[in-house]
Amino acid sequence: MSTETQPSSVDPTGSAATSSGPRPHGSTWSVTWHGVRTVARLELRQRVRSTRWIVSLVVFGVLVGLVTTLTWAFTRSMGSDMIYGGMSGVVGPTMFGFIVFFVLFLGLLVSPTLSATAVNGDRNAGTLATLQITLLSATEIVLGKLLASWVASLAFLAVSLPFIAWAFLAGGNNPAAVVVTVLLLAALLAVVCGIGLGFSALTTRTAGSAVLTYVSVASLTVLSLVVFGLSVPLVSGDEEVRVYEADWSSAPDADPETGWGDDPECEWTERTQYVVHTERTWWLLAINPFVVVADAAPPAVNDDNRFVVFDPLAAIREGVRTARQGPPAEYDYCWQEMSSDEQAGITAFDTHDGPPVWPWGLAANLLLGAGGVLLAIRRLQIPYRNLPKGTRVA
Amino acid sequence: MSTSDDRTPPAEPDATAAPSVPAPPPADPSPPTTRPPVTVPPTSSSPAHGGIVARGVRRSFGAVHAVAGVDLDVRPGAVTALVGPNGSGKTTLLLVLAGLLVPDAGTVSVAGHDPTAGPAARAVTGWMPDSFGTWDSLTAREVLTTVGAAYRLTPEHAEHRAAELLDLVHLRELADSPAHVLSRGQKQRLGLARALVHDPQVLLLDEPASGLDPRSRVDLRELLRELAARGRTVLVSSHVLVELDEMADDAVFISQGRTVAAQEVAAVATQWRPWRLRTLDLDALVRWLEAAHVPWQPEPGAPPVGDFSPPDEVRPARPGGVVVQLDTEATAAALLRDAVGAGVPIASLAPASGALESAYLALEEERR
Repeated sequence: MSTETQPSSVDPTGSAATSSGPRPHGSTWSVTWHGVRTVARLELRQRVRSTRWIVSLVVFGVLVGLVTTLTWAFTRSMGSDMIYGGMSGVVGPTMFGFIVFFVLFLGLLVSPTLSATAVNGDRNAGTLATLQITLLSATEIVLGKLLASWVASLAFLAVSLPFIAWAFLAGGNNPAAVVVTVLLLAALLAVVCGIGLGFSALTTRTAGSAVLTYVSVASLTVLSLVVFGLSVPLVSGDEEVRVYEADWSSAPDADPETGWGDDPECEWTERTQYVVHTERTWWLLAINPFVVVADAAPPAVNDDNRFVVFDPLAAIREGVRTARQGPPAEYDYCWQEMSSDEQAGITAFDTHDGPPVWPWGLAANLLLGAGGVLLAIRRLQIPYRNLPKGTRVA
Repeated sequence: MSTSDDRTPPAEPDATAAPSVPAPPPADPSPPTTRPPVTVPPTSSSPAHGGIVARGVRRSFGAVHAVAGVDLDVRPGAVTALVGPNGSGKTTLLLVLAGLLVPDAGTVSVAGHDPTAGPAARAVTGWMPDSFGTWDSLTAREVLTTVGAAYRLTPEHAEHRAAELLDLVHLRELADSPAHVLSRGQKQRLGLARALVHDPQVLLLDEPASGLDPRSRVDLRELLRELAARGRTVLVSSHVLVELDEMADDAVFISQGRTVAAQEVAAVATQWRPWRLRTLDLDALVRWLEAAHVPWQPEPGAPPVGDFSPPDEVRPARPGGVVVQLDTEATAAALLRDAVGAGVPIASLAPASGALESAYLALEEERR
């Protein structure tokens, strides 16, 4: 019996011939559409045949429909009271923004359930190893599972499409906004699927990976917002700033007849004032999927292109872009020299619109999703060198 | 090695059997820094055959040495039994052979390929784990066509192969029912069919008979014999030795992660082991055994044989049996002939335990 310890790397000449040529089927990083499709079809067949899936689709649709109807009724009653814009200007954008957010919210809830148990659930059911030993590569298995859970998530998105269309038809919306938002919703659902897959390959128990995925989603959406708010005092303080304002001390005396005086001249002064440096923390807002969608959606239009209608997506866009720019280098408080439009604050939205934020947010989210997918691939690579605690190979 | 191609149905069983030699590097002195190349010691007559060769395989999980030094030669065209008690490392060894685990040390060659080096070995290996699940919502047929697709069979070929295998494991009536309605034994048969989808050169079966009814066990035995006859390499792990007795040609005994013995089952049959001798007249048999100086023991669990000293004509003949230790079947034949010649009404003479069981228990005995 030869019991000498030898490193497990076996003779490099024997099988190196196969790996030097084109990558053979089944080695970790090889990908074929055939392999991905095989896995995705298997996953979807497994899911579609469970009736619960159909039921949850129906429940999802009913829920979105209910909220859409309520939003419609609400904005309608609000819109008729509004002084500007009227129905067409308010109902559409409000409804659209609200529905898009609601669909995103539900999608972020549903997607983890579709992906966060894909690997460890299979492992616990004893069906993972039998797939791994075939000529499917780890990459094909993971991408197939990603594709399947994404397609399933897209089914939920498809169910809500009629309601998004309804919100669009309520008027005042940019047609491009519908296309952009739906595409972004799809991309963000894929991100959540990728994160879920990563966690499902990382943890042994399905409950653990589901919780971790939900925590990640909550961190992206809620926690980041809370941290942003709480960190405001940390990035703020009293600072010397240059200010352009009226010098009331040098104002001419009031006209004794009318009681009105000429406006004082404006001039530059230095003074200490409280400044908030959100340009250091804006990224906390940018990674938020809701912000990504809101920022990317083209602004609402109205009939005469004059009034800024109430548009929740635009409000968020405005807020986050302002936050990114941080405080201005100098403050102009000289209202006397402003145009009448500026005084009404109407065009103010457009004047200090910064560059878009959503590409950063989307990129960060896509990186997270890709990270999850890569992690899953690495964890499914066979043969296993080390087994994580508590896992069985088969 | 043609395993990266889409596998087409081999026209002949041996078409894919091209024994690719895991050639020891031909005396190539170019890498001076490396150790002497790891070669498979030519212990058997065919050192680099298409079967399984393992040398010094070790694998630990933390402090547990699941496999602590296994040497294995499994020849093609034969059924080899992997025998060992629970927790002896059988399953871990099979995971290494199937290409799911990297051994900590040692070399493995499966049909000429290194299972740790890439998918080439996986392409020619069929593996049936000891416990596995099925995709519950898929029908039995879909399970097999899916696995076929995973092995890069064309859809037509996978379909054809699925139908063939469903016939083979007698699941044709259940072919289009979802897998979750299958019983445990039926799932086990489906698992066997799944391991055979790509017509593997090497078959690794971990406790394949557990949960099978007697008819299915016979079918399994015949199937494995047929696969071996067609040149396949079959390694079956089990601790139910009786069923291995009838299908295995070779046996490898492992205990506590080590190979403790490897022998041919036929050779095991020539060892001393207990035989059960049954008669219609126990008193006559015992008298004859005493006279012939054949050592015997009462059958385990039988009532005491009693006092035979006075020839008792009054007592009627009573049936019964004893256990005798015999070394070969020739000895058994001689004993039988003599006893019958002496007028003892012999009913049967058969090994009290299977050949593997005796060998296994003898090994256990040595280890104590």
